[in-house]
This record gives sequence, C-alpha cells and structure tokens, in this order.
Amino acid sequence: MTFRGRNGTVARATMWSAGLMLAGTLSAQAQDVVIWGGFPELADFYERVAEGMSDEYPDLNVIVEPIGLRDHEKRVALGLSSGLDDATVLELIGSTANRYIVNDLLPPAPDDIADFVNDAGNFEPFFRDTATVDGTVYGVPLFRGQGALFYNTDMLAEAGLDGPPTTMEEYDDYAAKLTQRDADGNPTVSGWSLRLSGGGGGIAEKFWINMHQFGGALLEPVGDKYRAAYANEAGLAALRQYVNAVSGDKTVTIDMPADAAAFQRGQTAMFIRESWVIGDTEKKAPELNYDTALLPRGSIALPVNLYVSGGSDAAQDAAWAFAIEANKPEHLIWLLDNVGWLPNRAGVDYSGVIEAKPQFSAFVDLPEDYDLFTLPSIEPINEILTRFAAVLTEAFADPSLAGDDAAMMALLESAEEETNAILDRAGILAE
Amino acid sequence: MSAKARARRSNFLIDVCLFFICLALLLPLIMLIANGFKTPAEMLVWPPTILPRNPTLENFVTVFTETPLLRWMFNSLAFATLSMIAIVATSALAGYVVAKFPFRSINVIFILFLTTAIIPFEVYMIPLYFQVKALGALNSITGLLIGYLVMSFGIFLIRQNVIASIPDELLEAARIDGAGEFWIFRHIVVPLLRGPLAALAVLAFFQAWTAFAWPIITLTRKTSFTIEVGLANFQSAYTVELSLLSAASAAVMVPSVLAFVLLRRNFVEGIAASGMKE
Amino acid sequence: MLKRKRFLFAVMAIIPTFAIFGWVRMYPIVETLRLSVFQWNLLSRDKTFVGLSNFIELFGDDQFLDALTNTAIIAFGAMAVTIPVSMALAGVIYHRTRSRFAGFYETAVFIPHVVSLVPAAMAWKWIFDAKLGPLNAVIVALGGEAQAWLFDPVLSVVCIILLVSWQTLGYAVLIYLVGFRNLPKSVYEAAKLDGANGIQSFFFMSVPLLKPITLYVSVVTLISGFNVYAQAYVLASDTQGAPGRLVRVLVLDMLENSFQNFRVGYAAAEAVILLSIVLVLTAVQFGMLRQKGGK
Repeated sequence: MTFRGRNGTVARATMWSAGLMLAGTLSAQAQDVVIWGGFPELADFYERVAEGMSDEYPDLNVIVEPIGLRDHEKRVALGLSSGLDDATVLELIGSTANRYIVNDLLPPAPDDIADFVNDAGNFEPFFRDTATVDGTVYGVPLFRGQGALFYNTDMLAEAGLDGPPTTMEEYDDYAAKLTQRDADGNPTVSGWSLRLSGGGGGIAEKFWINMHQFGGALLEPVGDKYRAAYANEAGLAALRQYVNAVSGDKTVTIDMPADAAAFQRGQTAMFIRESWVIGDTEKKAPELNYDTALLPRGSIALPVNLYVSGGSDAAQDAAWAFAIEANKPEHLIWLLDNVGWLPNRAGVDYSGVIEAKPQFSAFVDLPEDYDLFTLPSIEPINEILTRFAAVLTEAFADPSLAGDDAAMMALLESAEEETNAILDRAGILAE
Repeated sequence: MSAKARARRSNFLIDVCLFFICLALLLPLIMLIANGFKTPAEMLVWPPTILPRNPTLENFVTVFTETPLLRWMFNSLAFATLSMIAIVATSALAGYVVAKFPFRSINVIFILFLTTAIIPFEVYMIPLYFQVKALGALNSITGLLIGYLVMSFGIFLIRQNVIASIPDELLEAARIDGAGEFWIFRHIVVPLLRGPLAALAVLAFFQAWTAFAWPIITLTRKTSFTIEVGLANFQSAYTVELSLLSAASAAVMVPSVLAFVLLRRNFVEGIAASGMKE
Repeated sequence: MLKRKRFLFAVMAIIPTFAIFGWVRMYPIVETLRLSVFQWNLLSRDKTFVGLSNFIELFGDDQFLDALTNTAIIAFGAMAVTIPVSMALAGVIYHRTRSRFAGFYETAVFIPHVVSLVPAAMAWKWIFDAKLGPLNAVIVALGGEAQAWLFDPVLSVVCIILLVSWQTLGYAVLIYLVGFRNLPKSVYEAAKLDGANGIQSFFFMSVPLLKPITLYVSVVTLISGFNVYAQAYVLASDTQGAPGRLVRVLVLDMLENSFQNFRVGYAAAEAVILLSIVLVLTAVQFGMLRQKGGK
C-alpha cells in the first residue's frame, strides 16, 4: 500500500537490479534492512534516506514497508515478541516503545548512536528523554506529532470572523457561526469537526487534547505511578463541549465527513490535527485557503523515534546508520517541506520551509508558556485510551446528556473507576 | 387458459422475480466495480451515480503501479492452490480409510477430530501463531499453509461419498485379483470420487482465498501479503480514496469470480453428490 | 494376516492426516485452554498461573460483555435472515431447475460467498455511507429520512447482520438445493394429486422434510456468525476521514486483548468462552434434531 513517488520506484528498481547483480557475485554481502513505519505518507522520505546511504553502503537493500498505524502497532507487537529475522528499523512513539524495552525486546543503541542522541546540540532534553529509559539510549528521535488548529480562512471571512479563536469559549462561538445548514437546519458543513466515532484510542487522545485546553489531563502522575484525573471540572468542560456540539448547538453530527478529508473538501471549517495535514493538503487540495493557529493552552507532542531490532550485527549497524542518516538536515528539511511532519532535531535551519508555508508557524513558533504534553510511557496506555474511547463514543451519541452536568459527571466517574482498575492491575495505580 | 399456459406464465413470473433477486445480490459487487472506474470527484457526488459518467482507468493504473497487487494475487493463488492440494489429499485418504476400514481405534480418533470442525479457527489461532513462529515460518506461504492443511468437513464429505458410491464388493474383487491397497485407492477409489473431490477442491480453494484473520497475523512483509491482507492494509491507510480502493478490490475480485463461474458445475454437482441427507 | 495388512495400510494412510490434526488443531486448542488460566503479557518470558481469575474478570468486563452481546445478536440475526430466505430461494430455484437460467441463479446467489471479505465489506461500506451511499439516496428518493447506518448503535449492528447474511446466503441456498433434490419425488406427486399447490407443498412438506438440512445450515451460519470479525474491522476502519461506529465483536476483542493490550491469557479465556458457546449451541441443535427424529 505504499504510494511511492516515481523517484522512489525507480530508485528501488535500480536497487533491486543492483541487488540481483550483487546476489550473483557477492550474495553473502548484500544486506536487507527493513523499515517498519505506521505512517504511509513517510514512504518517500525513507526511500530518500535509503538513497542517501547508497554511497556508503552499496550492498544495502532497504525495504520500506509502512502501513496504517493500527496494523503497524500489531505487527510490531507480534514481530518483537517472537523475534525479527531481518534487521528492522521500527518507527515507534516513545510511550509505545517503553513496554518492549522493559521486556528486553529492544536492544540499547550502540555507543556512537547514544552519543549522537545525547549531544545537546542535536536534541533538546525533552526528545532525548523520550528515546531513553533509565539513562540508556534505545532509540533515535526523528519527528513528532503535534497539534494545532486548522481553519478555512474563506469560511471565517464569510462568517465575519476576524482571526482564529483563542479561547475554548470562542471555539464554541466560532463553531456555531461557521456551521452551514440546509433548509431544515441540519448542518451541511460542520463548524468544528471533532473525532466522534471509529475504533481504537484516537477518540480518547483527541479528547485529552481538548481537555488539556481546560487545564486537565486524562492521567495524572504521582511519583512513578498514575491515576485517572478526568472526573473533574476540566473533564466535564471538555465533555460538555462535545455533547453540546452534537446535541445542543448541533454544529456537527456524528455521521458527517470529518477530519482532514472533510477539511480539504470544504465540509468543515476548523479542526485540530497534526502538521502532516499541511503536506497532505498541498497534494490533495492545493487551492484551499487555510491557516493554522496555536491551541489556547498547549498541544500534545508525540515524539516518534527509530528503534532497531533483529538481523545480524552488521545489518544492525546499517540499520542504526539509517536512523542517523534520517536525521541529516537535508532529509529533515525535505520531510518538513514535502510530508509535513515536524522533525525533532535541533540546529537545523527550517526557516526556508516555514517562510514558504506560513501554516507551519503554529507548530514551531511556540510561546514560552505554551504547554506541551505527551502520553505517559506505561504498558496499559493503549487499553486505557481504547476503553475510555468506547465510553466517550456512547456519550457523544447520547442526546439525553445535553445540559445534564450531573449525568456527565457520573459517566466520567464510572469511566475513571475503570481506568484506575486497569492501572491497578498493572501495579501502577497511585493511591 | 389451459393449465399448461398458466404454468408457463407463473414460471415466467418466477423467472422475473429470481432475476431481480439475483441482480440485487450482485448489485453491491457491480457497484464496487463501477466505483473503480469513477474519478475521485464523482465519488463525492450526491445523489451517487451507479454507472460512472466519465469512466477512467486512472485508478487501476495507480493501483497496479503503486502496489504489488499482482504479487499479492500470486501469493493468494499459491497459498490457495497448495492448501487445496493438501486438503484434497488428506481428505481423500482419511475419508476413504474411515469409510472402508472399520477399525475401532481409527474411528474413535476420527470422531474426535470431527468435533474440532465446530471449533472456530480464531479460538486457537494465537497458540498456532507461536508454533509457526517456532518453525521460523512467519511471512511465508509455508506458515500460512500450516493453518490450512486439513479440513474436517472434507474428510466427512469424502467418507459419505465413499459409503454411498463405492461398494465393498468392488474392493474385495480387486483384492482377490491381488491388487495392493494403495493401488486400489489410486486406481479404483480416486477415479470414482472425481466429483466430490472436485467439489472439495473448489471449496478448499476459496476457503484459503478468502482467509483473513490468519494471514493478517502471520504476514507482516509487504511482499508476502495475500490480497486480503494487502487490501486490508491498503484500505486502512487510504480510507479516504474510495475510488482507488474500489479499483483495487474490483481488480482482485473479478478473476476469482470468473474462476468460480468456470468451476461452478463441478462444485454444485460435487456438493449434491455428497449425500447431505445424513 | 490379510486383516493385518489392511490395518497397516489404514494406519499408514491415515497417520499423516492424524499427525497434522494433532499438530495444528489439537495442540493449539489444548494450549488455548492452558493459557486461559495464566496471566501472560506476550512479551515477557514468564507466565503467572492465575486460576480462574481471567474468567471472573471477563464477566465483570463491560467491553467483553458488549462484544458477547453484539456477537450473539449478529450470529442469531444472520441465522434468522439466512434460513428462511435461503430455503425459499432454494425452493424457487429448484422449481425452475429445468429453466435455462438455473445455472445463472445458482452462480449469482453463490458469488457473494466466494468474494473476499475485504472487497465485499468495502462495497457495503459505500452502500451504507450516510452522506454518499446509494442506500440513503434510495430512501430519500422514496421520501424517507436518511439514516446514519454505520454510526447508529442499532443500525451499525443491522449493517453487519446484512453483510454476514449476504455472504452466507449462497452457501445455504446451495445446501438447500441439494436437500430439495434429494427429497422423495413420489410424496410430491401424491400431494399434487390431492390438489396441493406449490406453496402448500412447500410449507407442509418441504419445510418439515428439510429439517436435517435446516439444522446443518443453522449450525454452520451460527458458528460463522460467532466468528464475525473482518466485517466489523473493515466497516469501522478508523483512519482519518471515514470512521464508523466500531461494533465490538468477540474475535476483535480477543485480538485486541492479545496484541494491543498484551493480555494473551485473558484473550485465551475469551476464546474458551467462545468455544463453550459454540459447543453448547451445536449440542442444543443436535439435541433438537434427535428429539424431532424420535417422535
């Protein structure tokens, strides 16, 4: 399912034929390195990185295999628990990698790689730490998922709105004003597209981002333990906003087209998403007039690192070299410019891209007090999010909750019990 | 109106009804194929069009150039064919033996195995995964096959047919002529079972061809995907591009449907011959 | 001597099959039973024996109970749709056996059964699409109100039932056709002489006579209904833009518990419950048959 660019295809074909020729003569030296990613749009990027290595590693055969995130996580779990035959570069969110590391399923990075990661000139402490467990470096930081508000400037202008919303109250106002309706009053273009259905933990993650704007968090660390922290004012405010959007103001419906696709097709006026939308929109809707804005208080930042597992020592070395090559400024600038994910490496001059695409500024020009948060690195994080997501999906679709704070709070409280039970089972529930 | 004319008229009406029912059953697939020829813009038109207004081959070109769809089809074909061979061979032998060799020990084991037919594959799929892993057969057709080597229903089907269509006298006569047991199986039993074996072959082939849960956990290499896994990954990564997804689906669906249409007679007659009266 | 030789052949011929069965069926089934009393996170080397606590936890687990309910509704719903429709359809097709379209009918009805799950689910996903799908287009054209098929808690289950029935229908029709062909013709001729019309003989003779076939078909549809997975997976694929309500079903919950939540023992306990349900249902159905046969 890779949508490789023509360049990539040609490069790969060349590599294959080169590989075939080599296989005839020096079969022992040809090395396979497999790249497993969860973001199909990064395929071209990895192909470029592979090309960049071809001088130094002429026998290297890089196989880039990105698939959808949910399937990617499953194959990583299966692959690592049973052992990988080929040297594999794994693209993982730091919090996800943690459970493999504590179970000794991911090897620590070799010294030279660790030095590269530890070099303060390369990565800020926040990113270094997400690739480190107990002082040992296991991965190489690459990019991060960070959210901002995307808004359709034409629609805002039509609604007489000047500039993006800056507080959560304004989000509600804007959503109400931006919603377009048919003769019966049913919304045809949503004012603010929210993640309201689907499988997996995404719904809970998006809820957390909104809740963060009200000063809350789904999970609260106490020492090295955690407890659920959403049955409170912030949680209620976030849930109230969702329920009101669906059942009160009716600025969005559950079955409306949502997310980037809807935004690019003019079916929603605003939504919160990561920076890849910029690269995606450039490809799919280059005519769209839109801008981005900081979120009121801060955003999620999910750092993605590259880890290595499996294969011979020599192949592993090549795989680590791939992780370093991926962090070369020329590739990172290409990544930002063409794909839109935010590179984590410091000291690279991205200004050319940001000037050409001002939409990136809401992702990189962050004020001092902009509050970034990330998912905690705990084993049951996925289960917690998935189960809370199931509760949220039901709540969003329940019109009887509209205006009923007590019922919403009761719902959050019972969900909190479930979350705490999961934490307790994992032995990390804070008292 | 004569009774004959009335019967003819009612038959005509039945034919018309049946025709529409069949059409309704095929409609989803027809629409899927039609969607493969639509432009992305046309997919968003309301009300939806049934036949594409400006048919385009673009989707198919994109799908075939940018995914190893042919490779996936080949993998599926290889997997389904090998599984078919394994199932036909094991079922023929085992079905014949349990039907004609009334040894108690064998029958007890047979009944035990037959009961596993009702145990869903998904129940024991995870331990099986670790067995395949231990063999180092993940990401290979061998690994896939391990889940699809035998079929309880196949043994049962052959057993019923042997009982129904192969008289003991025939086998005894051959034995008196000095034929060896394997010779009898190969030259007398198998030819007589051609119909049911063909039916079983088609059934086994399509069982493997449409397998989903097992391949999706054993295959992680893009080059080793079967079409089901390839398409599932393709669709989860590109949910938005419905016309592309439809083109990919149509491209893999059409040959399998054609294959079935060609083999249908075998299949229906084989099942019919299987003496489902039991 | 002769008998021994035959026994030897029988054993030699059957050993490969039995060995494969033992290896790829019996062993993993037993292993599933064993894992269900352990706590194991898939990654670590040790498994902890926890007795029946996985099962106890399951019965307090809303998500599992939700999955169990959905799966049962889908399985019985699909059976309730499939049995009468396939029997009637097979009856009519049988009636037209000599029609030159008979082959076409059989093929058309059976094709959905041989189409891979993913393309089939994709086709239906579009049909059910609330904003773009032809189903709502037809409903609106007829003056009805568009429904959020894949999002409504009830309708999303109905969608899966329809999809599953559509896929099993062909197989059921085929088995019923075989049944019809094997029915004693003399009985029908006698009925015809007594003045029974086609519909009467269908209800008063075919339906009771086909009971064993109905039993077989219901076992098969129920079991495959309890294994529903790909349909739910594809209809609610949640990548951006086109999600739907995830109808949680047993196999999906099982796989999620094993490979996302890393609770293999817990998932094995779910598998054991799925296994028990299937066994009980099959036993009940065969019990019903025996009772009927006895009378």
